Amino acid sequence: MSWRRVKAVARRHMYVLQRKPQRWFDVVLWPVVDALLFGSIGVYLARQAGPGSQGVAVLLSGILLFHVVFQSEISVATGFMEETWSRNLLNLLVTPLREVEYVAGTVLFGLAKLALGVGVVGTMAFVLFAFNITDIGLALVPIIAVLLVVGWSVGLIVVGLILRVGQGAEILAWGLLAFVLPLSGAFYPVDVMPAGLQYVARVLPTTHVFAAARVVLSGRALPWGQLGWAALGTGVLAVLSVVYVTRMLSAFRARGFISRYT
Amino acid sequence: MLAVVRELPPPVLRARGLVKRYKRVQAVNGVDLSVGAGERVALLGPNGAGKTTTLLMMLGVVTPDEGWVEIGGHRLPGARSQAATEVGFAAGYLPLPEALRVREFLHLFGELYGSADTDGAIERGLARFRIEHLAEAMGNELSSGQRTLVGIVKATMHHPRLLILDEPTASLDPDVAKRVRTGIEDLCAEEGTALLVTSHNMIEVERLCERIVFISAGQVVADGTAADVAARFGRDDLEGVFLHLAEEGER
Repeated sequence: MSWRRVKAVARRHMYVLQRKPQRWFDVVLWPVVDALLFGSIGVYLARQAGPGSQGVAVLLSGILLFHVVFQSEISVATGFMEETWSRNLLNLLVTPLREVEYVAGTVLFGLAKLALGVGVVGTMAFVLFAFNITDIGLALVPIIAVLLVVGWSVGLIVVGLILRVGQGAEILAWGLLAFVLPLSGAFYPVDVMPAGLQYVARVLPTTHVFAAARVVLSGRALPWGQLGWAALGTGVLAVLSVVYVTRMLSAFRARGFISRYT
Repeated sequence: MLAVVRELPPPVLRARGLVKRYKRVQAVNGVDLSVGAGERVALLGPNGAGKTTTLLMMLGVVTPDEGWVEIGGHRLPGARSQAATEVGFAAGYLPLPEALRVREFLHLFGELYGSADTDGAIERGLARFRIEHLAEAMGNELSSGQRTLVGIVKATMHHPRLLILDEPTASLDPDVAKRVRTGIEDLCAEEGTALLVTSHNMIEVERLCERIVFISAGQVVADGTAADVAARFGRDDLEGVFLHLAEEGER
């Protein structure tokens, strides 16, 4: 793997973020809206429930951790989509750039975007609602690590779908996580969900990460067993996403789908 | 008396038995093609003859159903990344990413190709095609001619052994087309770069290339000098051959 090529890809996406104002929606605007929305709902619910309610903390930690998944997913997916929108895909495919280097470049850039996006939610939560996510302590590190890998994996699945189906699949860059969010119980325990959906929710690694975060928020120790299951599920998801995107790239080359982007 | 046998340098590009089908269309049907070091070859044929699909298979962007491609001794697809360091590619129809300045675009690709001195290569490349003044322009501010020139600079900064150009002068004014042609000729002469070019401009092809490969219905139907190819089809020039093959294809 060439570190030089990885940096070049990351830098290319940095230029895009600088020059395309609409890209700041994902990084700044949605995080601000989400922090304001979920923080306000949390305050309202806390007033209804009375003193000692954890509504604000649960909602704000949920949305903040969801943004870890969202920002990491969206950086991989929109990074690839940018190449299709600017018809740069053929230029890239004829260079020595390897697939793993391209993904590593978008991930590297995504980490910067993540810091920005999550930083905005965290700052808003602290300034407007006096909620400090770092109160979770060091337990935040493994929680965020698992969510990052989930986001990258979902991003690769979206890239695979775009390679196979074309631009019609682009909506999934935003839409796929819209399914994951309610099913993962980001703001509530899974057992409040309709019975049938609970089975689906328990299969998702994100469900166990959000549950583990709530345990820590309530002042108890990090449930390593639950996080371990989440990490295992995430590992399986990551392997499946790499296999899927690799197969879709082979299909893309075999069927000459580059003609969609020239 | 001993005969002196001079070994020819190995071809920079070798393709054998390339076949590509898209659903019900047979795009390429058994193309064999070699390009020697420093050789300048034109790949010609009517629309739909299979030129671009052939080029894309040689670049590793499209996987052949049958056959194989080797560039600089690197067999695709396994050694695609190494092979790509030996090739530069530009096409008249490819735009520049709009969010990048020309210098940033060239820098990106200099890094991807592993240029030894990316900044120096950018300056030399822009100077060769007399477009230094475009260095700070945004990609979407360029005319199609300027875009083509920048694309060729991008394709040549890493000193490839083979330059593949797909319709490099399509829709260009004659003066810009001449500048493109002159720049390519200089590059090939100075650096010994082999050239594989598709074009619909027969006069340009005769000036630029020493060997002509005609492709029709996905097959190579002629391979030789312009005079050889014209003679083989009983025509006066390449345009006559082109029109003859296009008419045959319509029947």
